[in-house]
Amino acid sequence: MKTTLTVNGVERTFACEPHESLKTVLRREGYYSVRFGSETGETGAAAVLVDGALVSAEVLLAAQAGGHAVETVEGLSPGRGLDPIQEAFIVTGAIQSGYSTPAMILAAKALIEENPNPTEGQVRDALTGVLDRETGYLRPVEAILRAAAVLRGEDVEPVDAWLIPALTGPEADGPADLTRPLGPGPASAPRVIASPEVPETSVVGRGERKVDAIKLAKGRPAFTDDFEIRGMLYAKMLYSPHAHARIVSIDDSRARALPGVHAVLHHENVERVRYASGGQSYPNPLPHDQVSFDNKVRHVGDRVAAVAADSLEIAEEAVSLIDVTYEVLPAVFDELEAITGDAPVIHDEDDMEGAHDAARNIVHHMDAMVGDVEEGFARADQVFEQTYRVHQVQQCPIEPHISISYLDSDERLVIRTSTQVPFHVRRMVAPLLGLSVKDIRIIKPRIGGGFGAKQEMLIEDIVGHLTLATGHPVRLELNRQEEFMSSRTRHPQTITYKTGVNDDGVLVSQSMRLIGNSGAYGTHALTVQQVSGLRGLSSYNCPNKRFDCDVAYTNIPVPGAYRGYGAPQALFALEAHMEDIAIELGMDAMEFRRLNWTKVGDPLDIATALGEGAADIDVVPVVTSSGLEECVAQGERAIGWHRLKDPAWISPPDRPHIRRGIGFAMCMHGTGIPGLDMGAASIKINDDGSFNVLFGATDLGTGADTVLGQIAAEVLGVPLSDIVVYAADTDMTPFDVGAYASSTTYVSGMAVKRAAEEVRRQITERVALMLDLDSPGEVDLTDRRAFAADGRSVGLDEVALHSLHQDQQHQIMATASYVSPESPPPYAAQYAEVEVDVETGQVTVKALVMAVDCGVPINPITSAGQVEGGMIQALGYGHCEEMAYDESGRMVNPRFGPYKIYRADEMPRIEAYLVQTMEKSGPFGAKAIAEIPKDGVAPAIRNAIGNATGAWINQIPFTPERVWRALSAG
Amino acid sequence: MTMIREYHRPANLEDALALLAESGARPIAGGTVVNARPNTEPVDVVDLQALGLDEVRADGDRLELGAMVRLQDLMESESVPGLLRELAGREAPSTLRRAATVGGTVAAADPESELLAGLLVFDAGVTVAHSMGSESIPLAELLADQSRLHLGIITSVSVAVGGDATAERTGRTPADRPIVMAVARRGEDGEVRLALTGVSSTPVLAEPSKVAELAPPADFRGSGEYRKELARVLSGRVLGRLGESA
Repeated sequence: MKTTLTVNGVERTFACEPHESLKTVLRREGYYSVRFGSETGETGAAAVLVDGALVSAEVLLAAQAGGHAVETVEGLSPGRGLDPIQEAFIVTGAIQSGYSTPAMILAAKALIEENPNPTEGQVRDALTGVLDRETGYLRPVEAILRAAAVLRGEDVEPVDAWLIPALTGPEADGPADLTRPLGPGPASAPRVIASPEVPETSVVGRGERKVDAIKLAKGRPAFTDDFEIRGMLYAKMLYSPHAHARIVSIDDSRARALPGVHAVLHHENVERVRYASGGQSYPNPLPHDQVSFDNKVRHVGDRVAAVAADSLEIAEEAVSLIDVTYEVLPAVFDELEAITGDAPVIHDEDDMEGAHDAARNIVHHMDAMVGDVEEGFARADQVFEQTYRVHQVQQCPIEPHISISYLDSDERLVIRTSTQVPFHVRRMVAPLLGLSVKDIRIIKPRIGGGFGAKQEMLIEDIVGHLTLATGHPVRLELNRQEEFMSSRTRHPQTITYKTGVNDDGVLVSQSMRLIGNSGAYGTHALTVQQVSGLRGLSSYNCPNKRFDCDVAYTNIPVPGAYRGYGAPQALFALEAHMEDIAIELGMDAMEFRRLNWTKVGDPLDIATALGEGAADIDVVPVVTSSGLEECVAQGERAIGWHRLKDPAWISPPDRPHIRRGIGFAMCMHGTGIPGLDMGAASIKINDDGSFNVLFGATDLGTGADTVLGQIAAEVLGVPLSDIVVYAADTDMTPFDVGAYASSTTYVSGMAVKRAAEEVRRQITERVALMLDLDSPGEVDLTDRRAFAADGRSVGLDEVALHSLHQDQQHQIMATASYVSPESPPPYAAQYAEVEVDVETGQVTVKALVMAVDCGVPINPITSAGQVEGGMIQALGYGHCEEMAYDESGRMVNPRFGPYKIYRADEMPRIEAYLVQTMEKSGPFGAKAIAEIPKDGVAPAIRNAIGNATGAWINQIPFTPERVWRALSAG
Repeated sequence: MTMIREYHRPANLEDALALLAESGARPIAGGTVVNARPNTEPVDVVDLQALGLDEVRADGDRLELGAMVRLQDLMESESVPGLLRELAGREAPSTLRRAATVGGTVAAADPESELLAGLLVFDAGVTVAHSMGSESIPLAELLADQSRLHLGIITSVSVAVGGDATAERTGRTPADRPIVMAVARRGEDGEVRLALTGVSSTPVLAEPSKVAELAPPADFRGSGEYRKELARVLSGRVLGRLGESA
């Protein structure tokens, strides 16, 4: 059929099928700003305006839109300029990955046109249909309020850091009154507590616009799927309906006979090559327990077969025509049951490498000790023991996994893919496809969020196999249900802490017994659990420590990397346990923690016994910087901690079934994997004195490209606009391990800094030649010019022209790489305020405050965005998100809504404070910030519920029935 | 997405009903529910957007909501009782409630729909047009027997106005679909109606004295036992606010 509609003011007639959504048709016609988020429409990434009203184009038929006027972001500012709404989204830092930014901008446009002076509540209501996994909605709301003001003709202030005086330390102005709130600051301004140790800089430390902001704000083709190539086939996977089964036979004849089907792949026609899918450094940690297609399935949603066909509909039909006979096996889902020795054996194949004890479903066993814990328990005045449980959640990037592969004109395989680890993917996929690394190019375009789910070689082998089998370009995109059941998730764990304490509150001995649930495969099983042990036993000083861990295979969908990587699990247990001990000891919980937490100079000794990945650490690391005291003070004031002393606040007399509480959790994370994570960068000068900066680091929406560009600009004395960033393309850029372990700013940033310093050295030599200087060392680069000590100067454009064209011609360029021997911990204080309905168990989170010591934030706006958005993901973990299963192991809620992520109109108040310290080992003083916001929210809510009601709950999430049962039991 | 064989957009109700009778086609209003369903048997669809049916009209002492009134319009319509406006806003997020309609909400019969529970206490009657003529069916009866929509098209929903109404809910988060929600209204005639979600396969009217006899189904968000307790507590609160005892 045909449908005629007006798109961005132009009447167009499109051929379409009656079942096709408006999103499908618009994308086919090149309106790439309309993006897939879920087949059921809840994410709103595909929202457009229909006759001026915001509507999800995912669940609107193209035919229904016939005769109507449709607007997309492409219509907003067709030339080089920006619409005021787009401008506001950029300057407030409302754009992270940008995947759903076009939808938000259209929501803003519709709202402001109807109501030029919207309230914050109205703005939040307008955004309810656009789910965001990145920003916590704070900056998008600010952006829309700002855009409305601009469109009303009002003046708006530039967005800049809000410098807040320190409350502790030598800079503090006497003892602070933490009961007096700070009051509202300038809109959108990141809150920064400056350190006098930090030197003055001109580009670093500023809230620069993101270097990719224009294309994201304008909805330009920038993501994996925003790409056209002739002859493309559509892939669809057949997934297992059983949690555990042997494939007795596969008959693909009916699927192959379907017109339009080009290939059907499964274990009978794809070579069996062992691998581990986690995107990690060589050699990939064991076990190597996966193959592209196996003759056994180990979870509902496991791979069975793949089809490539002329259209998605044909591929879907072909999948339904594959006849598979299964021998269904008993399954086990719980990590404690899986390792008893009586459970079904999940990996019974004889070619699997590297599991600790496959017959007992034990992937890994770890036992690391410092001192002697038993001796310590015997010596301690009191010993406490408690078990905590954490559950399975999904990363939920709004852009699901998607890859497109094709053979280029040299018959090399190009894979354009939404990945955090392009270089690892290239190396890992090559043997599966029977190719050399040199035969493969991986391109990482813009990524619509990853959060660890994409630290994985998840589907690149599938599209590669299908392209090699057919010669055609092949596209595979997971739908939302598949993203839940067939990608990656967070490891559930059962954690038992046992702690010996003296009566004065000093820790004597602490053991952590952890059973991790690795699901069907062992990807990331070793390192996630190692990080649990590392983080769970590093925050507090204790002379005797032990980490005793088994990781179990089960038949749940596969856990892997998820932002925080083992730390959120461990810190829930640890910060609950520390609170409980303080109560038992009759000590103030903060004083008890303060007595024991690690301070500058303290050793992080469990690290030498544990490590992460293949790195061996010989020297005991020590804490080199900590702003924790300041974080605690800022957070205490911001949350209004003193109210906990007021019984009328805790039990409001006019609301008899409500109790209020505030909770605290201390957080400490790492910054990259020492001795292992490597980043590299190349920088070259252009004729106009601008620079190309190329690196392998992988910006997945975090702003890494911008932060790394700022570091280069600072060293080279130019504005960020003179830096042209290109990244994460294995043919074009130097190596980088990719985006994980909170390493990019610290490790890749140092590589950029070193490359820039070498370029600066070459520039100074050139300037010496141009100015006849004896000693080139005196040249200073600032404001696009090179100044000699005698005051003479030349422009960098003159330097470039001289070196490229005029005399002793030479391309000024340099490459540098960096691997850090250290992993300096960022610290943070996390606070949560809750209301508990004691009759129903309903918990409402009213406020989250996190003050983070991230060293020097290179870009305070993107840094604050990491904290704000990270806290909201962490809120979902502690409060409402869960993957729920029926008895057969099938997830019952693989859809947003039933799987609940927070939306804009139900957010607690969120505030982020960036407490500067000068971390000497980092670029311009930086430490990590991206993962620590995931660590403390769940325990802070738990402790808040406890302070409100006296119910201390040792399992997340705090859903109403769980809390009601705890209250009923108490 | 549903496999759709043919798409029709009739200009009037007679043609729409004739299409249903001819081909067994199914009507779509906003499409936010039908279009989100996974592949099922191929169907023809009859899009109702050209039929009008999108007015909110006073009808004596009641209000007639056209079946194609969008939830957003319901939310913004000042003549509609405040609680129903609020529940229309809670029914769907901003990107869906400008497509989703009153009639579609009734036809979808979502067991967790707060708006349906609200309509129940506002004594909703649903007008269903068939080729043989129209009938008005109390919403509670229609929810209990959805076959009465077969080959029919909802044209309007009639609700009472006035009185006092109030709702209480328990969910995982403030905007979550409630695990259980209770809504009660005392009409201007003094009669009190109580409706609940999350205790049955559709939102239901409940006798205040018989809430304790409910046997709710369980899911991962709430066991039967817990839902029963929520029904008791939340009913008690809303009835208490109306000066009634449970």
